[in-house]
Amino acid sequence: MAVTTEQLAEEMYQMVKETMGKKNLKAGDLTKAMIAKYGEGEINKDDCKHAIRILMDSGRCVYSYFGGSFITLPHKEGSAPE
Amino acid sequence: MAAEPVKRITDIGPPNFEKFLHPVIKKNYGLWKYHDNLAPGVLCHVAESGDKIFTVRAASPRLLSTTTIRQFADLAEKYCGGYLRFTSRNNVEFLLDNQANIEPLKKELLALGFPVGGTNNAISNIVHTQGWVHCHSSATDASGIVKSVMDALCDRFTHEDLPAKLRIALACCLNMCGAVHCSDIAILGVHRKPPKIKHDILPKVCEVPTLIASCPTGAIRPATVDGKQSVEVVEEQCMFCANCYTVCPAMPLNDPENDGISIWVGGKVSNARSAPKFSKLAIPFIPNEPPRWPGVVDAVVNIVEVYAKNAKKFERMGEWIERIGWPKFFELTGIPFTKYHIDDFRLAGTTYARSTHIRF
Amino acid sequence: MADEKVQTKLLDELEKGPWPSFVKEIKKARKVSPVCDDLLGQLELSYEEKVGHWKHGGIVGVMGYGGGVIGRYSDLPEKFPNVAHFHTMRINQPSGWFYTSNALRTLCDIWDRHGSGLTNMHGSTGDIVFLGTKTDELEPCFKELTEAGFDLGGSGSCMRTPSACVGKARCEWACYDTMKMCNDITHQYQDELHRPPFPYKFKFKFSGCPNDCVASIARADLSVIGTWKDDIQQNDAEVAAYAAKGLDVQDDVCGRCPTKCMKWDGKKLTINNRECVRCMHCINAMPKALAPGKERGATLLIGAKAPIVQGALLSSVLVPFVPADELMDTIKELISRVWDFWDEYGKNRERVGELIQRVGMGNFLDAIGLDPVPEMITAPRDNPYIYFKDEA
Ligand code: HEM
Ligand code: HEM
Ligand code: SF4
Ligand code: SF4
Ligand code: SF4
Ligand code: SF4
Repeated sequence: MAVTTEQLAEEMYQMVKETMGKKNLKAGDLTKAMIAKYGEGEINKDDCKHAIRILMDSGRCVYSYFGGSFITLPHKEGSAPE
Repeated sequence: MAAEPVKRITDIGPPNFEKFLHPVIKKNYGLWKYHDNLAPGVLCHVAESGDKIFTVRAASPRLLSTTTIRQFADLAEKYCGGYLRFTSRNNVEFLLDNQANIEPLKKELLALGFPVGGTNNAISNIVHTQGWVHCHSSATDASGIVKSVMDALCDRFTHEDLPAKLRIALACCLNMCGAVHCSDIAILGVHRKPPKIKHDILPKVCEVPTLIASCPTGAIRPATVDGKQSVEVVEEQCMFCANCYTVCPAMPLNDPENDGISIWVGGKVSNARSAPKFSKLAIPFIPNEPPRWPGVVDAVVNIVEVYAKNAKKFERMGEWIERIGWPKFFELTGIPFTKYHIDDFRLAGTTYARSTHIRF
Repeated sequence: MADEKVQTKLLDELEKGPWPSFVKEIKKARKVSPVCDDLLGQLELSYEEKVGHWKHGGIVGVMGYGGGVIGRYSDLPEKFPNVAHFHTMRINQPSGWFYTSNALRTLCDIWDRHGSGLTNMHGSTGDIVFLGTKTDELEPCFKELTEAGFDLGGSGSCMRTPSACVGKARCEWACYDTMKMCNDITHQYQDELHRPPFPYKFKFKFSGCPNDCVASIARADLSVIGTWKDDIQQNDAEVAAYAAKGLDVQDDVCGRCPTKCMKWDGKKLTINNRECVRCMHCINAMPKALAPGKERGATLLIGAKAPIVQGALLSSVLVPFVPADELMDTIKELISRVWDFWDEYGKNRERVGELIQRVGMGNFLDAIGLDPVPEMITAPRDNPYIYFKDEA
């Protein structure tokens, strides 16, 4: 593997940060983007799955729900922000 | 904000069911021979070995306090070694190996206000959802309607004298958490007005492209309102499904006078005899009438009674209607037939009569 | 307000009558938690105004999981501060909803410490539903639950908590071990259950025979429904006993058989098992006399859903018969291919059934590597608009 799982997690985190407020990303979007970047031979879905787990367990990102599940930055607790 | 590394237990999944099984069930697992229906709400399953397990089924309101659950636990300990289960329709079932305990258990359940029944050709509990007790999306309440309808049909729960099984389900909006779309009678909350767009908060709380994509009829368009990016709804195209509200809190559809209930009939899930089928529209709209919903109660009781009187043995609601035809169903129930009963959504033609097979 | 006794004139009407009352339940739970006063207050107001007072969910959960908690907030937090936060926790039920009294007491103790004391036994997907708690209580409640051997169920775009009929535990008709299958699949896919990886929700439901007591054909993306291949097991003496007891074998059994494959000459019942569609009717009517055959397994069907977004669907046949002992391996193999295809092509909020409608069943079968068989349809197409492909 050309990258470590921790690196993948960090890149996913950057991606979420950059698109925040513009587009909501799903787990599948992050996975597809990473595989596109590093190539099918280098990393696979399971690597991305582990990376997402690291990302979540570290608290850098959280899951959110707007009629479907998305991965976002943690933000202030409350109902859908108003 | 990396969290401190605490040892958390995760991903253990549900407990293995085996440790909750009555010893007689464990011993005869997969070795059952036949069952008898001893009385409404009382089953006896007989194993190849000759062992017997008795089941006493009682109604529950689904919304249960821990106080009541502990009462069930007490009863289970007193009469059946602590073994009990719940059914897919929210009834509670006590599992006994001693037949002599059936009557005393029934007596205590009745004294506590939990009717025993729901088996065989009785009306079982109403599968239902959250309503005003716990959901933002509801066009009507759930628990209150279920309570009112079942108060009126309680004798049909404690007696098994219908032609066949009769399953009622309720969902308080088109999301249908209770999956009512294949029930003998479905009670469904509906909206009748398009969303009232909160332009002031919309750009902050919703992603506009996702919102536009959420509408099944393409009724939502981008619009600029007071210089702000927002959306508009083409009202003629709106079918009040609330998909948009699910993805965007700035699109509420709730409306006290225009929200209400529709009634659907003739669906089934089981493959017995005829194939599973969807429920079809019987009554397009009944207003919300809390606290006792007389309009809905009367409508459901009427359909049940007409079915009970006219269907043949083993005929589910939908099978009965197919035999007599829809015109006769509307005639017998006295329900008015309107233009709303004729499908005009996609592929609507599948329910048009395309033959001269008409019963006169 | 909270310390005054709430007036519930309308709700009190729902304490009357023979059916168990949810209002009484909420009132009982007042002893557990004072939040129930505010719940009653807000509900009474909904009853007066004919409109709900809850806001959209939003973002709450336990750390690392993307589901299992449904955020719920009052839209009148000043008036009803105790239900300002009133989140639901979904707890994965044991297969078949079997419990011991001790297990129930453990769950009640945990919930009394951390929540409202109100539950749904059970939610419509099958989970134990703990109804109403504050964000701060989620993590401690989760900790106690896992220490007691329980875990959260699913919500959001994940594999939802699977459910099963009682099957072999108490039903002579179970054609495979539904409860074990449900338990094993749930454990196999814990990651898919807790960390939403999909375009939308995905449900498994396991019914042991075509009576389909968990409504899997109407509600599951993958419906696993038990069936058999050989002949119905028949006990002629018991058939005669039913007839002697007054069952009209001709009209009520043979007459209702959908394929009219049964004959009753007044003494002997003959079944043409090659024409039987395994509907269960005759077996339901005479449980002591008839039983499913011995070569048992299941039919796999795909794609059911309620109407949202594009309309309701029933599941349709994907694999007509899988022998019981090959079921687990076949499901695992097939589901990984289905999920791969859905991940790749599914749009946000598109269930598998809707994706199949959009791309066409033929293309879907190609993609997951299954051959078309006539059991998948009720009839071949009746329109001539065929997308012919270049066959190399
Ligand atoms: C040995 C016989 C059977 C057993 C042990 C059995 C078991 C069950 C149980 C425990 C439930 C949940 C019931 C409740 O909560 O009231 C149920 C539901 C159901 N049963 Fe059966 N059942 C049997 C026969 C049948 C038959 C003969 C049919 C159809 C002809 C049938 C169709 C259904 C359906 C459609 C549901 C409702 C599913 C839902 O909507 O949630 N079952 N069954
Ligand atoms: C797009 C479709 C759907 C949406 C947006 C949706 C949304 C919701 C929401 C917001 C709640 C929360 C109620 C609360 O606050 O407790 C809920 C509850 C629930 N939903 Fe759904 N739902 C959908 C379809 C379904 C379907 C088809 C099922 C099952 C077949 C289902 C199963 C449940 C269950 C089990 C609950 C928990 C409580 C209950 O049983 O009422 N949902 N749903
Ligand atoms: S059916 Fe609709 S209103 Fe009822 S609980 Fe589900 S989402 Fe909420
Ligand atoms: S209610 Fe349904 S049809 Fe109407 S605008 Fe919203 S999504 Fe479209
Ligand atoms: S689905 Fe069939 S096997 Fe399962 S409980 Fe119902 S009747 Fe029995
Ligand atoms: S199972 Fe159904 S199709 Fe088969 S013989 Fe019995 S009634 Fe006929």
